[in-house]
Amino acid sequence: MDNITAEHVRLTIDGISISVPKGTLVIEAARRVGVMIPHFCYHPKLKPDANCRMCLVEVERMPKLQTSCSTVATEGMTVRTATTVVHNAHKSVLEFILANHPLDCPVCDQGGKCDLQDFSHQYTATSRFAETKRIFQKEYFSPLIETQMNRCVQCLRCVRYCDEVMDVKALAPIGRGTMTEIKSFGAHPLDCEFCGGCVQICPVGAITSRLSMYEYRPWMLKRADTVCMFCGDGCQITVQTKDQELIEVNSAQGAGRNSGDLCARGFFGFRAASHPDRLTHPLIRRNGALVEATWEEALEFVAEHTKRLKLSHGPQAFGGLISGRCTNEELYLFQKFMRLTIGTNNLDSSARYGHINGVQAMRSVQGTHRWTVTFEDIVQADVLLLIGTNITEANPITGLKVKEAVKKHEATLLTIEAIQPAIGTISNISNLSKQHVCVAPSQFGAAVLGLLKAVVEGNHIDSTLRQQAPDYVSAVSQAIQQLDWEDLAVSTGVSSESFVQMAASLAGGRRVVALAGQTLLRSQGAYGVCLNLLDLLLLTGKLTAQGCGFAPLAEENNDQGAVEMGAVSALLPGVLDLTDRDARDQITRAWKEDLPVATGATLIEMIGLAQTGIIKGLFIVGENPVGSLPPQTGVKEALSKLDLLVCQELFLTETAALAHVVLPAASAMEKAGTFTNTEGHVQAVRPAIDPVGDSRPDWEILSAFSVFLGAPLEYGDAKEILKEIRAVIPGYGSLGPSPIPPAVDPAAVDRYMNEGYRRDLATRYTLPARDVRQDGTVQLGLTQSLFHSGKLSTYSTGLLQIEPSGLLQMNPVDAARLGLDAGDRVRLSNGQGKFTTTVKVLDRVPEGLAWLPDHFAQDALRLFDCVVDPDTKVPSYRTASVSVVKTA
Amino acid sequence: MESLEGKRGLPRIKPPFPATHGLYNKPTVVNNIETLANLPYIVGRGPEWFASIGSPPKSTGTRVFCVSGHVKQPGNYEVPMGVTFRELIYEHAGGMRSDKPLKAFIPGGASAPFLTPSHLDVKLDFESVAAAGSMLGSGGVTVMEEGTDMVWAALRLMEFFYHESCGKCSPCREGSSWLVQTMRRIVAKRGQMQDLETLVDLCKNIEGRTVCAFGDASVAPIMSTLKHWRPEYVTLIQEAESANLIKLEPAGVRH
Amino acid sequence: MTFTAWLKTITFYDIFVGMKVTMKHMVHYRPVTLQYPHEKRTLPDNYRGMLALLRYDDGTEKCVGCDLCEAACPSRVIRVVSAEVPGEPTKRYSKEYYMDMTRCLFCGLCVDACPVDALGMTREFEWSVYDKRQLHLNKEQLLAIGDRSFPVREKQLELQHPNVAFFNVAFKHLPQKPG
Repeated sequence: MDNITAEHVRLTIDGISISVPKGTLVIEAARRVGVMIPHFCYHPKLKPDANCRMCLVEVERMPKLQTSCSTVATEGMTVRTATTVVHNAHKSVLEFILANHPLDCPVCDQGGKCDLQDFSHQYTATSRFAETKRIFQKEYFSPLIETQMNRCVQCLRCVRYCDEVMDVKALAPIGRGTMTEIKSFGAHPLDCEFCGGCVQICPVGAITSRLSMYEYRPWMLKRADTVCMFCGDGCQITVQTKDQELIEVNSAQGAGRNSGDLCARGFFGFRAASHPDRLTHPLIRRNGALVEATWEEALEFVAEHTKRLKLSHGPQAFGGLISGRCTNEELYLFQKFMRLTIGTNNLDSSARYGHINGVQAMRSVQGTHRWTVTFEDIVQADVLLLIGTNITEANPITGLKVKEAVKKHEATLLTIEAIQPAIGTISNISNLSKQHVCVAPSQFGAAVLGLLKAVVEGNHIDSTLRQQAPDYVSAVSQAIQQLDWEDLAVSTGVSSESFVQMAASLAGGRRVVALAGQTLLRSQGAYGVCLNLLDLLLLTGKLTAQGCGFAPLAEENNDQGAVEMGAVSALLPGVLDLTDRDARDQITRAWKEDLPVATGATLIEMIGLAQTGIIKGLFIVGENPVGSLPPQTGVKEALSKLDLLVCQELFLTETAALAHVVLPAASAMEKAGTFTNTEGHVQAVRPAIDPVGDSRPDWEILSAFSVFLGAPLEYGDAKEILKEIRAVIPGYGSLGPSPIPPAVDPAAVDRYMNEGYRRDLATRYTLPARDVRQDGTVQLGLTQSLFHSGKLSTYSTGLLQIEPSGLLQMNPVDAARLGLDAGDRVRLSNGQGKFTTTVKVLDRVPEGLAWLPDHFAQDALRLFDCVVDPDTKVPSYRTASVSVVKTA
Repeated sequence: MESLEGKRGLPRIKPPFPATHGLYNKPTVVNNIETLANLPYIVGRGPEWFASIGSPPKSTGTRVFCVSGHVKQPGNYEVPMGVTFRELIYEHAGGMRSDKPLKAFIPGGASAPFLTPSHLDVKLDFESVAAAGSMLGSGGVTVMEEGTDMVWAALRLMEFFYHESCGKCSPCREGSSWLVQTMRRIVAKRGQMQDLETLVDLCKNIEGRTVCAFGDASVAPIMSTLKHWRPEYVTLIQEAESANLIKLEPAGVRH
Repeated sequence: MTFTAWLKTITFYDIFVGMKVTMKHMVHYRPVTLQYPHEKRTLPDNYRGMLALLRYDDGTEKCVGCDLCEAACPSRVIRVVSAEVPGEPTKRYSKEYYMDMTRCLFCGLCVDACPVDALGMTREFEWSVYDKRQLHLNKEQLLAIGDRSFPVREKQLELQHPNVAFFNVAFKHLPQKPG
């Protein structure tokens, strides 16, 4: 922080003296003293509007009563909030507000948590109003959000939140005077990001959630503070339950890394855990079909077959896959189980789908496995570079930090995205950027090379670096000079001026944060692109400086945790290499048992080994490779060949349908543990309801396996596992308000600049293959939608109201060219197969590209080829060239 | 300024004032056309010439007064400040239209409190009108002859304020609606005696508690008509009570 | 001893004085025992008997499912499950309404709490059962009790002012709440 000692002013509130930083509002200062001044329109996240006139207070030397929400505290101010004049003012304003407010309390969902009710009770406001109250026609607003405008007190909090914080501007006040009502901006039902912000911020029952309408009263609810189970942002949520039923999700203002903001998934997606299709009993395959069994039978079956296979084929005949949605405790126990009880390093997690690229890049260059920056650094940055993030859809809360940096702190936003700036119903990050470069995902590498070239040629290389590592600088410069501006322009479709300008902005920033998202990290060659990005930051001197850093965004809620817990074949807990002698010794000492040393197989390799029959048994926890990987990888055949396939799952997925034993697992709503968000911040997960049916948390199941196999790894509860993790990983798990991010390791940087970069400099600094687009084809890309996360959210009744299926999103120019209208059925085909879907025309899709949300695209996977990165073994299968033909 | 910037026309929170943060957050001065129309002459003939007209030291120069209402020649009249109302109405505007006696007049637009015939000799400048209990405001002089129903006049003005209220702050928005409905009831002979107390109370609650001066302005007609012509209100209410048009339903009675 | 005192002792006068009331009752025999079940006491108007749910004169249930009675009850007798009226979106009613009369105190706090006067107390007290489960009343049973005891029903509000008259009809054109 720049100002350590901000200027303070001293003022007196109701006789109590307090010193506050300059610029604090009187209402804030009063809160610090413990005086709650009633208010409706004031909210700490929003600019003061002073329209409700409820927060009037008496300020000495000012003739009229002043609204404390818009009055800034000055030195020597005396404020009185409890005099008769002020009390009468509050009462009269309350009377005015109640004048047109309907007597809806019995039927209003806000009853019990309503600001107006509470203040009326406090001031025993009466109403002499004997006239007719104004009413508004009730209109359909949206499937998930309900408005009852009669109750609106016109505080405009919802409008301001949607405008200032979310930058979506979906709500607007219509009409004048008493007939002001809040409607969606345009004569149509609400179509927005459905973040639930307006529902949470409305002080009365004018905007409520339809998902849990009429189901509860606030005094009946039990609360559990936990972490969202969808994306990597790790928002803190409060899950409200009644009688073991999930009722709703709130967030507390200022709490968690998200500061109380949520997105559609967090706010409306929680009912995925209580879907009726949840597995409630263990299943065993008998005579070809899965039948219900008891836990004893299932565990004995697993133990018996595991022992048999281990005896006949050895421990290397086993493999394990775990989802990045499991808690840290489960991930740790899983890799310990596979390594000790089973005895193999063939284990992997869903972090392999993309997140590993970012983490490996960070380890190679700066020696950390976590970000060296935090969300606060993003907010305080003066230059933000976003590459392949689609941040407002994939990681919306990190997106909110970016928006805050741009809107409130005037940060310069540079974006390299596969989006076009266009105003739509959900926010578009490229609308806010100062310089935007629109490229196809396969050309992100070319764009980064363009930036590097502009940096080298524009003389933006840090002078101290030139002296420190001259060989590195010259090698990179030479490699970059080999590339031609014309080739770059043809590949990316962007001229050199854009890159030159962007490089200048980047180099001129003092606090520069580069964010890389899943669209980049899951694409082919992403590891190389990340290394190039780190080169870019290094060369401009922005990697080691304060407030600067590289930030790869995680897709699933605990992808970062999966890597840190060692649920990766080549890594041990604490992100130490398996090949590192000291690391192995340390873990061996902690576990009191020897580790297997043979290199383990990664995700695709395991499928290959299963195909050839070397791997005969697979333990899959929460993962669904049959539904996630393209059939070209042969995953279904490979898994069908296994002698033992054990799945721990929430639902009967495609993979579980092939299993020999399916065990019902508990969702994140039903177990305790910790998640590590994309920043590296470890947060506590607490159970909201009891496990559904007979399901158990994954760590309990793994522990039971180990007991039945005779090598018990027993724990009383999840906390004991966390204790062990803390003992094994030095300095782990700072569960606290904000993480202390690791600093860039200078030794690692030195190593990289002396020899590390040489390893693959030549391959990294070549342009990726150009896309050749034929007529009638588009470049199909799998994307993440704002309203879904993986396949888990497709079980949420709330989210399915907004996006019930995946539509092919196309640019209007492409649609016109192919003779398509919105809603037309089309067949996508290429050499691999066919897929039929419906068209949706969307302005922000660049020409030549078409997007398909991957949450509903299991059947479309056959169109894609899978390419495995030679370094990080990440499978990339997110783009394919397809022809689009209209069908009936 | 908000409209020019493309937003809803709602008043801003002051401070900061337009002089420092106005249109597009730049220092802005907002002036009436009348003020600007005076500028060429002041620049041409010198400020001393302008200062010599009217009633120095505060109210100098000429003003354009829009005389409307029950006069023979309603229109805009440019007169030097300091001329009396009597002169303006009877000499310049030709006097009352049907030669009936004057009952009331508004000296400065809808937001100025009403004045009675006893104030006819008040001079048209800021200090004198303020001393008389009203304000010079925009210079829109509305004249009402004998026979005008003052309650109706107050209602008409209140309807104007209700229609024009922007709806930002609670007292003005809800208060203007409430006042209009009460006044309509009184005029329609459905009023009660406690309505008068309510009116005064509401007006006091709106004054000084709003974002902009519109709130203070909107209660001026009702307050001033109640002050000077209270018997008219009482008459309407007494008529209502005797006609027994109100059917009161006592609260809390079960069927 | 005086003569009077001796006379009183001889004739057991004090005892007769004491027994005067008893003797009077023996002579003027007036039975006060009500021969229940043949004779029943007239109950006062505000007698707090069995609970009942009431209707409007057009037959619609009054209950809006607001859960205030559930909150007011000191013994947690009432359980309400609210829902949207099927076919009339945004109108609220109680889909399920259970009262566990084995725990009810008949204090009447729920009746006081109800904002729409949907609950009433009848004069029924003859509710002995052999199986306690029969005292777990559901909504249909409570409505039936109401129909028995409250033949005169409150008039359904018909709003006259054009501004609010449109509330008389339900919002049939709006979609129902999603499941």
